[in-house]
Amino acid sequence: MKRRNSIVSRVFTALVFLFLYAPIFLLIVFSFNSGNSNVVWSGFSLDWYRELFHNRLIMRSVYTTLLVSLLATAIATVAGTFAAIGFYSLRRRSRNLLNTVNNIPMMNADIVTGVAMCLFFVAFFTFWSDFAVWFNGIQHLLVLPERLTLGFGTLLIAHVTFNIPYVILSVGPKLRQMDKNLVDAAMDLGCTWMQAFWKVILPEIKPGITSGALTAFTMSVDDFIISYFTAGSSSSTLAMTIYGMTKKRVTPEINAISTLLFITVLALLVVVNLREARAERRGEEHRPVSSRFSQFFDTPRGRRLRRGAAGALAACFLAAVVLLTGATNAQPVVNVCSWGEYIDEDLITQFEEETGIIVNYQTAESNETLYSLLKSGAGDYDVIVPSDYMISQLIEEDMLSELDFSQIPNYALISDRFKGLTYDPEERYSVPYAWGTVGIIYNETMVNEPVTSWSVLFDDQYAGNVLMFRNSRDAMATALSYLGYSLNTTDETELREAFQLLKDAKNRGVYQSFVMDEIFQKLEGGNAAIGVYYAGDYLTMRENNEDLCFAVPEEGSNWFMDAMCVLKDAPHYDEAMAWINFIASTEANLANMDYLWYGSPNQEALEQYPAYYQELYDEELDPADYDIIAAPPEVLERCEAYLVLPFETRQLYNELWTELGI
Amino acid sequence: MSKELIRLRDLCMAYDDELVLDHLNLYINDKEFLTLLGPSGCGKTTTLRIIGGFTTPASGDVLFGGVRINDVPPHKRQINTVFQKYALFPHLNVFENIAFGLRMQRLPDASGKRRNRLPEEEIRSRVMEMLEAVSLKGFENRRIDALSGGQQQRVAIARALVNRPKVLLLDEPLGALDLKLRKDMQIELKRIQQQVGITFIYVTHDQEEALTMSDTIVVMDKGSIQQIGTPEDIYNEPKNAFVADFIGESNIIDGLMVRDHLVQMYGRQFPCLDGGFAENEPVDVVIRPEDIDIVPVEQGQLTGTVTNVTFKGMQYDIIVDFRGFKWLIQTTDHSPVGARIGIKIDPDGIHVMKKSPYSGMFGDYSSFSDEYDELDVVEPEEGSGDES
Repeated sequence: MKRRNSIVSRVFTALVFLFLYAPIFLLIVFSFNSGNSNVVWSGFSLDWYRELFHNRLIMRSVYTTLLVSLLATAIATVAGTFAAIGFYSLRRRSRNLLNTVNNIPMMNADIVTGVAMCLFFVAFFTFWSDFAVWFNGIQHLLVLPERLTLGFGTLLIAHVTFNIPYVILSVGPKLRQMDKNLVDAAMDLGCTWMQAFWKVILPEIKPGITSGALTAFTMSVDDFIISYFTAGSSSSTLAMTIYGMTKKRVTPEINAISTLLFITVLALLVVVNLREARAERRGEEHRPVSSRFSQFFDTPRGRRLRRGAAGALAACFLAAVVLLTGATNAQPVVNVCSWGEYIDEDLITQFEEETGIIVNYQTAESNETLYSLLKSGAGDYDVIVPSDYMISQLIEEDMLSELDFSQIPNYALISDRFKGLTYDPEERYSVPYAWGTVGIIYNETMVNEPVTSWSVLFDDQYAGNVLMFRNSRDAMATALSYLGYSLNTTDETELREAFQLLKDAKNRGVYQSFVMDEIFQKLEGGNAAIGVYYAGDYLTMRENNEDLCFAVPEEGSNWFMDAMCVLKDAPHYDEAMAWINFIASTEANLANMDYLWYGSPNQEALEQYPAYYQELYDEELDPADYDIIAAPPEVLERCEAYLVLPFETRQLYNELWTELGI
Repeated sequence: MSKELIRLRDLCMAYDDELVLDHLNLYINDKEFLTLLGPSGCGKTTTLRIIGGFTTPASGDVLFGGVRINDVPPHKRQINTVFQKYALFPHLNVFENIAFGLRMQRLPDASGKRRNRLPEEEIRSRVMEMLEAVSLKGFENRRIDALSGGQQQRVAIARALVNRPKVLLLDEPLGALDLKLRKDMQIELKRIQQQVGITFIYVTHDQEEALTMSDTIVVMDKGSIQQIGTPEDIYNEPKNAFVADFIGESNIIDGLMVRDHLVQMYGRQFPCLDGGFAENEPVDVVIRPEDIDIVPVEQGQLTGTVTNVTFKGMQYDIIVDFRGFKWLIQTTDHSPVGARIGIKIDPDGIHVMKKSPYSGMFGDYSSFSDEYDELDVVEPEEGSGDES
């Protein structure tokens, strides 16, 4: 009986650990995959790590992360230590109260902290700009900046803020363990309070400070949500960059960086735990191994050396910070917000080298996220790349700035087909970036005949093997276009009819699941026969599964255009023009088309791409693939772009979507 | 010997509206061993902390050699302290603990401008000298946590004395030691005080410690001084019921001073040596247990019944009921429980005190056995008020 129990408990323990660590293990394994899939193993390689270190975006965000974490840790450690000492010398009741107040931010949801800080900063900036305008108006000796923005400074303040409680929490107990009379004793023997702090309190609470600092550092490196809301447009931490990269799919490159991040945090934790274990053993043993070393530092010469070293380190650190902030301030910048994996990153480097303008490149998750970022005042970008329907909404709300086309000669290269589209009929606000179609992706080994119609999504032929969009607009669009209605219809009967189609199919079990980027794994791994997604992404999937095919249904489909716009009052207007002109060039369009496999709006690029492909890969581009990347005009003709829907219709969408119950 | 060194004038102190020191006045002579004695919460530690400079009095002055030092921080006072539980620095070894104060010292050089550290050789020789004085030679490289309680105690004393202070404050320094070690250290402390020839101000709640070591004892209760005097004065001539009860064992009986040298208890008159009271003034009469002789009933000035007997080695402690009031008597003769006995008290065994607010609160042994053993129990730490 007892034996059986122990087997059961062992199996249980094993399961717990399996669930805890198997995902991480898998992630680490696939970071060494030579292919770009997370499902199919194609051999060991370090390519993704190599690529990682050549990825400018990642390296810059690693740098930002390290800098903000180190600075925040240093500041929070000093502030937290003194705060803990202050708490300690208070009466018990006020101390307990303050400790509780201190604990709340740690328990508080990060998202609340993040949003609150963002709102606070934005409110403060508004107040500040009023003040600065008034102040600059009444005197001319000191000119205050009138416009403050979210950026490295606010990111740092946020990190310091959420780190301080951790330091207080780990220093507090050490102070309470300390003999209350130690400080009195030191002062009795000739110390001022400050000397007593250095000579007596500090050595006593040092273990608490160290573990507090390590915790704070780990938290800083780890943090995503709070950074996301406070970093603004000019800085991006590693976690934010990774998140941006997962927009499309989890590439092995992300596996590689995640592996490194995991190992870093693991190493920090091991260090913390070893220190604690050693501190516990200290009671039994005598001096630690480093005794002679530390004794040397207690001699006058050692002390002088130590002080010198500490001073030099501090000076280096300060110098680095000053240089860094100076360097970033001196150079012109442009803040760009786009979608994840939506640019050939070499273009950024190329642009920076050519113009000397630093590009702060960030990504948003969707048009809707971008919109709310802009509305909250947190997204302080110059250039954004929204989709067609979002552009018309932004124009309507007067959030965009007219472009100075004299600074964008490359606009002439844009194909006339893509000029003056419904979202910007007067060609005042936008320069097209990339376009694509939505279609059906299917596994030819799993279907009976080539798919040409939306009907496969709604009849029972492939029930249980179909993947549907997990967002209302795209899902409804498939049904609307199957029924032959406009994708932008506001007619309630039409919408309800389309919805009924979807709902019935769902109830009959046609859909395996409703997905967004998970579709990559499912289709590549052969777990589903049919899905709906973007043409460019189909080509990415096909690299890992040769059996996949693509079709734009005969009933028509959605096609989209993403275009570059400049926000009203953009702080770097001229730099933004330079960036847009650069991206509109034929070379940039070729590079992007090859990277994204989305259609280019640049006429020359569209024409030259097959040759460009041949030169680059030394093989001919399959004309069928070209037609998938850039749908021929006759296909495009049966497709329709999204327009902004009126409020009532949007509400109806929400209601219906809720009713569907996903 | 009797040069005044420290004077406390009208000190008042309160924590959380609770009066801890109530208009305290006290002077302390140079080279004196003075003990502040009293129960937990009587204000003795607060008084010591005020002298040390760790606490600022709410009102009143601290004078040192005639100069007001209220605002002088601890590190500028020629006073050092041995703390409760020693407060040694755990991260330093024995040598560095003792050298701590010397390393902090700065001496002006010839020009009087630059302030120099003490030379390392001087520090070394003074620390070694001190280690020898407290019999800890050879321990200089030990870690603090590798020392016994008694050794830590000595390091604490050495660490304070190495600075050659004018005054050494000791805050219940023997509280954490066991009984045997405590007795040894009492003698050791007294020897050290005589050897270095400086003022010791000693705080304790242990009356025996106070009697053994002090030149002067200050008995305190509720923030006020109850009596100041030599150990003999305090023991033989307590000023009120509180002092009589706190120092040693006392039977305290309601009495009436008929006239000088004649006091009335239980309706009987006893000759005594005290005088200076009004005629028929109500008084408290103190009779020490060892001053009572047991005699046959017919020869006794009073007669009572034995209700309890405890064997204490050198003597018996017996409780005798005199008309409902229980006395403690220490005697070498055994009397069984229930026996009726007579007692006789010599005139010099009777001490008459004026009535005080403490009258009637002490001196009855009705709840015997628990009560008077309790006084030896080590009381909890008397902190600065907020921590328990």
